[in-house]
Amino acid sequence: MALGTATQVDSEVDLKADRPWVCIVWDDPVNLMAYVTYVFMVLFGYSKERATELMLKVHNEGRAQVSSGTREEMERDVQRLHEYGLWATLQRDNEY
Amino acid sequence: MAPFKREENGEISIEISTQESHVLISLTEQLLELLSQGDSHFEAQDPLLHLVGISDSDALPDDPVLRRLFPDAYEDLASSSEFRRYTEYGLREKKKAHARIIYEALTSQGEPEEITGGNTPIDKGSFKLIINSAELLDWLSGLNDLRLALAVRLGIGEGRKEGMNIDTKAIHNKYELMLESDPMKAVYAVYSWIGWLQQGLLEEISPE
Repeated sequence: MALGTATQVDSEVDLKADRPWVCIVWDDPVNLMAYVTYVFMVLFGYSKERATELMLKVHNEGRAQVSSGTREEMERDVQRLHEYGLWATLQRDNEY
Repeated sequence: MAPFKREENGEISIEISTQESHVLISLTEQLLELLSQGDSHFEAQDPLLHLVGISDSDALPDDPVLRRLFPDAYEDLASSSEFRRYTEYGLREKKKAHARIIYEALTSQGEPEEITGGNTPIDKGSFKLIINSAELLDWLSGLNDLRLALAVRLGIGEGRKEGMNIDTKAIHNKYELMLESDPMKAVYAVYSWIGWLQQGLLEEISPE
């Protein structure tokens, strides 16, 4: 039991250490709101509500964190967002 | 009239005039040319790197449109250059593929003779095209790249990195008030029209 608990704690720590990067999408006056929402839905599989919420955050606050994960995962997300013309960057989570 | 329509069998179609089609053909052609700039550089490099899509070049593109289509991925220059080296070639190819799908769909309609015939009146006819459902996203992003490219030429979006508040209404008014003779007014009209096309397509395919 005690062992099991210790393992759980360890895996939580590992999980956190594994996800220190975030992908940020920046506001852009060209991309249509409906387009940004649609791209979030298609690329990340977000629901329309979640995608709309993120799009509005980008629009109103100038930027929004759209995903988090390992550096490699975030590089892949940025690459896909650039493919669809969104202005995206990645950075360490604590910088945001 | 909405250019994009969902047919009874669920397919998406676009009805477009020959003149409008020519505008899109010419723009996608120019975009393809721009995206191919520097290809010789990509090809001249180490053939093995070329094969796996890695570039010798990690510099920000010279052309402002290319800089907008391939922005920096990181705040710091070194990481951005590294990212560019590994991704830009592949991204260029993907963007070319999006543009080519629009270009090929429209050119497959054939050249109406009236247009190439010199003094004869321009054909005002239109045609309808069924868009393959697997290519809808290519159309959307291809149209988006055209808008991004035109926006750079129009100066829309300048200063965004400095956190400057971009007033799209002011931009709109600026071009609305422009003299008809100003060529940039026509560019703005095309930019707005492509936005309208893209919006129409989104309305047809976005889930409720």
